[in-house]
Amino acid sequence: MLGFVIQRLLQAAVVMAVMSAVVFVGVYAIGNPIEIIIPPEATQEIREATIKRFGLDLPLWEQYFIFVTNLLQGDFGRSFIYNVPVLELIAGRLPATLELVLISVVTATLLGVGLGVYAGYRPESWIARGIMAVSVLGFSVPSFWVGLILILIFAVNLGWLPAGGRGEVVSFLGVEWSFLTPDGLSHIFLPALNLAFFKLAMMIRLARAGTREIMLTDTIKFARAAGIPERQILTQHLLKLISIPIITVFGLELGSTLAFAVVTETIFSWPGVGKLIIDSITVLDRPVMVAYLILTALLFVLINLTVDLVFALIDPRIRARGA
Amino acid sequence: MKTKRLFASAALALGVTFAAGSFPASAQAQTLTMGVRGGPESLDPHFSALGSHAEAAKHIYDTLVWSGDDLQIEPGLATSWKALDETTWEFKLREGVKFHDGSDFDAEDVKFSIERIPVVSGPTTTTIYVRRVAEVEIVDPYTLHIKTNGPAATLPYDFVRLFVVSSDAAKDYSTPETAAEGFNAGPAAVGTGPYKLVSWEPKGDLVLERFDDYWRGKGPWARVIRKEMPNDSSRLAALKSGQVDVINYVSSIDYLALQRDSSVEAVIGDSVYIMNLQLDQREDTPLVRAKDGSKLDKNPLRDPLVREAIDLAIDRDAMVNIVLEGLGKPANQMMPPGFFGSSEEIPARKHDSAQARALLAEAGYPDGFEFDLYCTSDRLPGDGAICQGLGQMFSQIGIKTNVNAISKTVYFPAQSRLEYSVFMNGWGTLTGEASYTLGSLAHSNNPEVKMGAFNRVAYKNDEVDRLLQEGATTLDPDARRKLYEQAMIATMADRVYIPVVQLQTVWAAKANSVIFAPRFDEDTLAFFIKAKN
Repeated sequence: MLGFVIQRLLQAAVVMAVMSAVVFVGVYAIGNPIEIIIPPEATQEIREATIKRFGLDLPLWEQYFIFVTNLLQGDFGRSFIYNVPVLELIAGRLPATLELVLISVVTATLLGVGLGVYAGYRPESWIARGIMAVSVLGFSVPSFWVGLILILIFAVNLGWLPAGGRGEVVSFLGVEWSFLTPDGLSHIFLPALNLAFFKLAMMIRLARAGTREIMLTDTIKFARAAGIPERQILTQHLLKLISIPIITVFGLELGSTLAFAVVTETIFSWPGVGKLIIDSITVLDRPVMVAYLILTALLFVLINLTVDLVFALIDPRIRARGA
Repeated sequence: MKTKRLFASAALALGVTFAAGSFPASAQAQTLTMGVRGGPESLDPHFSALGSHAEAAKHIYDTLVWSGDDLQIEPGLATSWKALDETTWEFKLREGVKFHDGSDFDAEDVKFSIERIPVVSGPTTTTIYVRRVAEVEIVDPYTLHIKTNGPAATLPYDFVRLFVVSSDAAKDYSTPETAAEGFNAGPAAVGTGPYKLVSWEPKGDLVLERFDDYWRGKGPWARVIRKEMPNDSSRLAALKSGQVDVINYVSSIDYLALQRDSSVEAVIGDSVYIMNLQLDQREDTPLVRAKDGSKLDKNPLRDPLVREAIDLAIDRDAMVNIVLEGLGKPANQMMPPGFFGSSEEIPARKHDSAQARALLAEAGYPDGFEFDLYCTSDRLPGDGAICQGLGQMFSQIGIKTNVNAISKTVYFPAQSRLEYSVFMNGWGTLTGEASYTLGSLAHSNNPEVKMGAFNRVAYKNDEVDRLLQEGATTLDPDARRKLYEQAMIATMADRVYIPVVQLQTVWAAKANSVIFAPRFDEDTLAFFIKAKN
């Protein structure tokens, strides 16, 4: 097991090294960020001086070398735009994204699996058809549009919920959270719903397909023959059997939503990391872009690792193989 | 935010109207929440020259010279200024001005601020505001002599973005490593401006509290919250749902919808931004070719007849009414009328496709030719649409135009590498005077005289160069104005830069709630927004 973890961590290091080079070269290829952010009245002299000051006159390999050297010392550099250490900038905005994403992904998964199992268990019922119709909608309607419609209905027309922002926050464990205050919760509701919609649809479909398949297998027939109550079959046997793909998707979705909740964050003015990365891209804030994408790679690697470990916990076959 | 309702209840009576930026005497309204597109990058006013950065900074700090609603200069922390000789300016400072921590403002703070800028400036460099300063000499606590490197006629204009920080509070926070920390957390963010800092986070809310000893008088709002909302639709939704009281940069599509909505009112202001078409004058230009793709024997854009034809092809009225939904004005020069150096002698530009075709034929291109047109698509309202419109208009006179409206992150670096032949982007004369615009664009690119840094079309007119160099060193304002007007006329006659439209900006507020005057530089300043009652 330990060997497995170490091997995975080594893979992670390679992925991140490649990632950093690709991102660095890609951003370098777009052009010199100074051209976008320097004020128009700058003279040639000021322009040269500014480019030099930020080390942008050096050849690509040298810039990359400096970056990697600093990185290995734990220094991601400072944002061109905010002049604060990149890690601080990202860390300051991570809680906002974290709470939004966790709430939406967990809710979507719990709800989606419940509804999906029902839809798979009683596929002919009207309720199941209703659930499937909702899931088609969740899949096919773009999330920015859903976000705008949610704002239009609940914030503008009905006036029940705020249209954006994070609302009141309280400090807990040294970090500011908004889901712990009623005002914050009212702010989190719409963006979380918006984010959850697509994932809900996906979870419903996964759970339904799994359920339909498993219900026809011998396992269920024998369980029924053995007189195990239907309820117990569903909650204990079926759920375990359909959980592998669901956990895989849950992990991937958690990662991608954490990293790229940008559409929802922009529409709801949610001050999370997604907005940060988009803003950084529009002004070519290279240190933030590179650091962010490297951290995202790390996040995915860690999530995949966790998912693999969880498999081993729930599936005796994988455990027996000694992974 | 809970306190917003207080404001709503205080807001009564008539509609949003235009009013001069006078100072409100009554102040029953309590909180103003503004939803703005962009925000500061740091609370260190000297870090960035970005417009939204300066806009936020103006709430907390004052500038030495104030730029009025129409961008003409007015006394700020300096009450008067005059040139003593070729290279010395004297600034008299306002007495009795207090910093937020209660200490007095004096010449030491100004000197400290000027000297601090080159050290802490970020890539959007603020050194441009002090580039002419050679030395700052304190004569007495309220008199400064500023020595310049050569005659610097526009020094007072440079100082409209010279924010003054407290030399005591910012003393320990004036290196690139410590500045952001000290200012963002608060201890160094001590200014003389109308509002005190309460809290801020990057891309989040800037929360401010009224400074009761402000020298212009008490501000109208006890508390101001400046929320960053980059998405246009979200900003409008926040206004409609009552989360914010005022928003800036309403898009032209939303503006049309707003006109049918009685709960929200729009305020339209002229913008300093003018969209200029630019035609490369190099002998060999990359993106112009014959229609069959073969190389032309010379660059047609160097022919004045071709340039005139291109100018005549543009239907500016259609551009304003159809492409911009009425939110713009036809432009005939590179600055709005009334700016220092704009000429009234330049006639409105005509549209005549038939004559344009005739001119092309006369120039030896009866069948036209082909070029790639590049523009920004995400920088200013309507830029991408104007680009499409131009493409169609040029096609009508027989110039096959491949339109490329692209992101500014790609456009500007490529433009600086001189990869384009025909391109369009906006230019805002943020200082309100011509040396800013013509000095950067119309002068030939010449680092020795520090002019022409943004001339990316190899434009060179010796007469214009001479006028601009003379203008930069002429201290008498009337003589200087004349020189710049001549330079503008000459540049416009050459049609290497072809102004298309002047943009307009739209703010929106809840109906019957506030009074404010739109500013040319598009700033949204809480101090000058009054509650209607």
